[in-house]
Amino acid sequence: MRNVWLILRREYLVRVRTKAFVLFTVLLPLLMGSAVLLPTKLAIHTSSTRRVAIVTSDAKLGAAVRGELEEMRMSEEDDAARKLKNSPSTGQKADKPAFVVRVEDKPSDALKEQLSGELRDNKLDGFLWIAPDAMTSRKAVYYSRNGSDFVEANQVSRGLRIALSEEQLSARGVQTAEAKKLLGPVDVDTVKVDKSGSNKSNGMGAFFLPFALLMMIYVTVLTYGLYVMRSVIEEKSSRVVEVLLGSVTPFELMAGKILGVAAVGLTQISIWMLAAAAMGAGAMAMVGDLMKDAHLEPAVKFLFPVYFLLGYLTYACLYAAIGAIVNSDEEAQQLQFPVTIPLIACMVVATSVIRDPNTQMAFWFSMFPLTSPIIMFVRATVSMPPMWQIVVSITLSLVTLYGLVWLTSRIYRVGILMYGKRPTLPEILKWIRYT
Amino acid sequence: MAYTLELDRIRKTFDEFVAVDDLSFQIREGEIFGLLGPNGAGKTSSIRMMIGITVPDSGRILAFGEPLSRRTLERVGYLPEERGLYKRMSVLENLVFLACLKGLSPSESERRARRWLERLELGGWAKSKLEELSKGMQQKVQFIAAVLHEPGFMILDEPFSGLDPASSVVLKDVLLDLKKQGKTILFSTHRMDTVERLCDSICLVNHGRSVLEGNLREVKARYGRSSVQLEYEGELPLLKDPTLVSGSNDFGNYVELRLAAGADSQRVLAEAMKSSTVRRFELVEPSLEEIFIDTVEKTKVEKVNIEKTGAVTHA
Repeated sequence: MRNVWLILRREYLVRVRTKAFVLFTVLLPLLMGSAVLLPTKLAIHTSSTRRVAIVTSDAKLGAAVRGELEEMRMSEEDDAARKLKNSPSTGQKADKPAFVVRVEDKPSDALKEQLSGELRDNKLDGFLWIAPDAMTSRKAVYYSRNGSDFVEANQVSRGLRIALSEEQLSARGVQTAEAKKLLGPVDVDTVKVDKSGSNKSNGMGAFFLPFALLMMIYVTVLTYGLYVMRSVIEEKSSRVVEVLLGSVTPFELMAGKILGVAAVGLTQISIWMLAAAAMGAGAMAMVGDLMKDAHLEPAVKFLFPVYFLLGYLTYACLYAAIGAIVNSDEEAQQLQFPVTIPLIACMVVATSVIRDPNTQMAFWFSMFPLTSPIIMFVRATVSMPPMWQIVVSITLSLVTLYGLVWLTSRIYRVGILMYGKRPTLPEILKWIRYT
Repeated sequence: MAYTLELDRIRKTFDEFVAVDDLSFQIREGEIFGLLGPNGAGKTSSIRMMIGITVPDSGRILAFGEPLSRRTLERVGYLPEERGLYKRMSVLENLVFLACLKGLSPSESERRARRWLERLELGGWAKSKLEELSKGMQQKVQFIAAVLHEPGFMILDEPFSGLDPASSVVLKDVLLDLKKQGKTILFSTHRMDTVERLCDSICLVNHGRSVLEGNLREVKARYGRSSVQLEYEGELPLLKDPTLVSGSNDFGNYVELRLAAGADSQRVLAEAMKSSTVRRFELVEPSLEEIFIDTVEKTKVEKVNIEKTGAVTHA
């Protein structure tokens, strides 16, 4: 046990000290953080209150459109963005009025010229030209400096639509207040129904969070699995292994190495979690909202470390065996591909599993030990599978892991002392039978 | 006299390839023992079994009178032929890690490591990464790793490789000092001059078998003064006369020749004087190198097809 600990500690310290580790650990949260925060910040920053003019000979219509536009808030600028950001988190800035409106009721070519001039001189952000037949044709033209700002154009057209409809409704004898109610926005919320009752959820979050967690397991399993492999190759090619084996058994060496790299992985994930917590209100509120939206069952928080460790240990064994078989990183390239196939398959089916976690395919992927840590976890984040399925998948995974440890420690034991030509499969099978 | 290590008819095969075949020898306590043999003779395979990396298919290995175990192995130090250290760790970290694996405490490991580094003139390099050191310096670090836990028995595979003459002298003195302290040392080497100067006993292996073994002086005496060292100017057609000379080795400055069975050394001298000017004519015990080459030639048996076995163990 002391030997396993010593090897684990060396493996851990050497890896944690490298510049690569420090960079990756620091840079990844920074990158992710800026990917989340920057667009939000930028969106708020660039959208200031816009000055628009409404040109129409119908003064009543002009006033109505003006009323609609002046009621709009920054936070309403984009329905999709609002849903994702859940307006309170975007802060006070968002509650500024979206438009400052003035109405011109004497349309003429001269006015058009004048407004265009103001637009060019940056005194105006846009003007809406409502032709006299607008009431029947329901058509108008919006002039702006930036024709591609569809959000702005959308809002203007929404304002016009509501104003027009109100006027037409009141012409048919409908009260203005009643018309406003009729024309109000409609919200469709998605509700996830599960055993613990129904919970309001949001399609975005319910998809995004399982996917993010899935990526996290996938990336860490792959990265740390490769660390184990490289470490084995390094010890083999530098012949340190010959010195070590005079003091420790191959099994102790392999166990210490795999656990040491696991400790590095857990350290890195913990740092990221802490970084996310410290990242500030914006990012946290967003993640928090998604968590609420996706409505994770409490068990999922317990399942994450379980499936992470199962997945990591399974693949770490396979990668350790590859490291023992080959002589160099180049040789390892070819051999590691078959091992990566189940992982890639997981990524391929993941999207459809998230959409429908109860298909036959999802079931078998969540039972097969090389894919179950990822797919069963994904299923659990979407909707909790029956307990027996989770128990069976974990049991199968543990049994496989036990077999893999036995198998790879035998390959490892012989392989790390073999140099030269890469062994063929029958030769590896022979190694396993050596005593 | 007690034996530090006893190999009793050990055999190790990798598939059809017999790496070690029925090998037996004993190393007495406190002696320097030379394990010799050409490349691929089975030296490394034997050594790996002595330090418990691999297990013999059959036969018995006793260290300090007991079968190999973790406890006995803690009293064994091993210097592999090739550098076996972590390149990206510092010299001191390497040494402390390996000594801890042998059961020492970290503080004791560091104290001893620093003392040894001073002794081998590496005091200023303790904090340097191993890869920054020259090959010879790395070799010295490797040597320290083998002796740091003060083992009673040290297995040194080519300990002088890569060392400059001055460092070689330092290392030789260290080895003799260790011997004086009663430690047992096994040398595995191709360098016969080192063996002749340092070893008490030898075992020459070829094709996994012992072909010559025993006390070095006895081994050489067995050959008798049957060799002649001849320094000359001119031609020596007598070298090709099988009735006089059974083999010869040209060292450039002189030639060493083995007398054929029943040949008279005085006739050789007379023949030599006929064709050249003889500067020196000396009847000597054959050098170990002569014995080595002679024995290996004699025991040349059918070459085992190594390719057939696939991955070859590093020999």
